[in-house]
Amino acid sequence: MTKRRRHPGPVRQLRHAAALAWRDMLHEWKVSLCLVLALAAVLAPLLVLFGLKSGIVSTMTERLKSDPRNLEIVVKGNNKLQADWINALRARQDVGFVVARTRSLAATTGLRGPDGQSAPNTDMMPTAAGDPILPATMPVPASLREVVLSHTVALKLEASTGDRVDAIVSRRYQQRSEAVTIPLTVIGVLPEAAFVRDAVFLSLPLLIATENYRDGFRVPELDVVNGDPPRADARTFAGVRLYARTLDDVATLAQFVRDHGYDVRTRAKEIETVKAIDRVLSFIFFVIAGVGITGFLLSLAASLWANVDRKRRDLAMLRLMGLGTGPLVAFPAAQALLVAIGGIVLSLALYAGVSAVFNTVLAANLNRDEFVCRLYAGDGAIAALLTIVFALGASMVGGYRVAKIDPAESLREL
Amino acid sequence: MSGDAVVTLRDVARTRGTEPDSFTLEVPSLTVYQGECVALTGPSGCGKSTMLDLLGLVLEPDRAKVFSLRGHGDDAIDVAELWQDNRVDALAAVRAVGIGYVLQTGGLLPFLPTRDNILLSPTLLDMQENDLVDHLIDRLRIGHLLRKKPRALSIGERQRVAIARALAHQPALLLADEPTAALDPVHAIEVTELLLELVSDLDATAIIVSHDWDMIRSLGFREIRAVPMKRGAGSATRFEG
Repeated sequence: MTKRRRHPGPVRQLRHAAALAWRDMLHEWKVSLCLVLALAAVLAPLLVLFGLKSGIVSTMTERLKSDPRNLEIVVKGNNKLQADWINALRARQDVGFVVARTRSLAATTGLRGPDGQSAPNTDMMPTAAGDPILPATMPVPASLREVVLSHTVALKLEASTGDRVDAIVSRRYQQRSEAVTIPLTVIGVLPEAAFVRDAVFLSLPLLIATENYRDGFRVPELDVVNGDPPRADARTFAGVRLYARTLDDVATLAQFVRDHGYDVRTRAKEIETVKAIDRVLSFIFFVIAGVGITGFLLSLAASLWANVDRKRRDLAMLRLMGLGTGPLVAFPAAQALLVAIGGIVLSLALYAGVSAVFNTVLAANLNRDEFVCRLYAGDGAIAALLTIVFALGASMVGGYRVAKIDPAESLREL
Repeated sequence: MSGDAVVTLRDVARTRGTEPDSFTLEVPSLTVYQGECVALTGPSGCGKSTMLDLLGLVLEPDRAKVFSLRGHGDDAIDVAELWQDNRVDALAAVRAVGIGYVLQTGGLLPFLPTRDNILLSPTLLDMQENDLVDHLIDRLRIGHLLRKKPRALSIGERQRVAIARALAHQPALLLADEPTAALDPVHAIEVTELLLELVSDLDATAIIVSHDWDMIRSLGFREIRAVPMKRGAGSATRFEG
């Protein structure tokens, strides 16, 4: 009947300890469920808070910060800007968009809609790829025959995308009034919020062609053969449409242009307001998230610590029966891990429900690719990892304490 | 007594607390031989449980000239050295393989049914299934309790299950701390008799703590009595035998 036996290795002991931990949790399923619920009750609102931060809060502040009206640097008056100077400006890191424009007085035109409606004295705005006024999805006028209309102009002309409209540009040449009609295709209509005034957006070559026409030259590209021969000297531009890349770039860029002797105007006051809103929102979020995370980690650690304390007796018994320190610590750690995973899964499920409600109810305020509530996979992973690390940490410290006290002492408490 | 010594202690001592409330346990010399049934007796608070903790390798001695333990046919293990080197996991391994415990209130794990409580030590030791467990269950008449959890058992049933649990991995040494204190006298004798019988079946050695002198004597234990002594401001007890 007697035979030699060896104590099994730590890995097998760990497996036994984990199996026992699992059976203990099943036995106390109500307590286990409460621990999971308690964890989810604190974690789920935190996830929603992060979701709202990455969703609506970022979306709104991003919109404010990227509002082209605030990014614009208006170069006042009619100047003589060289194309080289404008190209150098375009190469700057703090420039978001720049395109040359012609004399403002020359840059108006009359428009006639498909059914004869007219819009006199409409501003002609040069545009190009990357124009912050144009929505990212809208095609950009490239040829001499393509335009984008502002919302008000489209209403006046009763024109929509795909329609043909005519621009009528007039001039006095050799004491006679003349006009040229330029047939154009509407390739887009701006949303009302993008640009509130009457304007037609067109390519720079078309704008230059109309200015040349007005200045009395012949303009073959507009089929105008009457007029002076085109000038030979390098042409200059009266101004630019200039936008900084970010709000923070506006001041330095404006100073740069000012240093070259041009008078500029920015919306410094509005920019300050936007920056203040961003700062305040960020700070509020930081404080709420900080308090929330601290509270969450403390309650997690406290409840798991208490759980280990409750099991001191069983753990002492297992230690008496020869479980080593590692496997003994593994017992509460395995339970904490399961509680953490259960809590994370439940929190994510709750979060999914809440964010779906947010995104459905508040969808009207958003563009197609914007969310009220969205959690980045990375943020979710960090939350899960932090939860697991703290759960394991708290239970292992608790378990280690049990392992360190004399088994005899805890047995006397039986 | 003849045969091999299972437990050998020479000049072992442990003090708990600080003077004037300190308590010192001294064991100038103690030898327990294979197959013996020893009872540690004495009034309450005399240090019997402390003595059992020392023998059970869960309380570190302050001083131990010799402290060795011998399992079935194994070489004697130098417990004094293991304590000195603070090899707590090695001590845990010795406990797991060589010692079975019966505590005053059973000490069963509440989340395991009776059968798995009994099989706990063999499982933790990766032992093959054998007839021993069936034999224990049969002799202790607990076959009808196997599926129940400890909560559903009476105190007497729990103690019988605890005995089966303590012996299921065939330990060389069984330690029992007042295993029948919670039972009525008739059951107490019956359970203790069973315990002795099973220890003898297994060729093991038993050391139990008890304050029931009559029962100890009637069942033929070798009695080692606590001798109270005066040591400075604190109290002290000596076990010798």
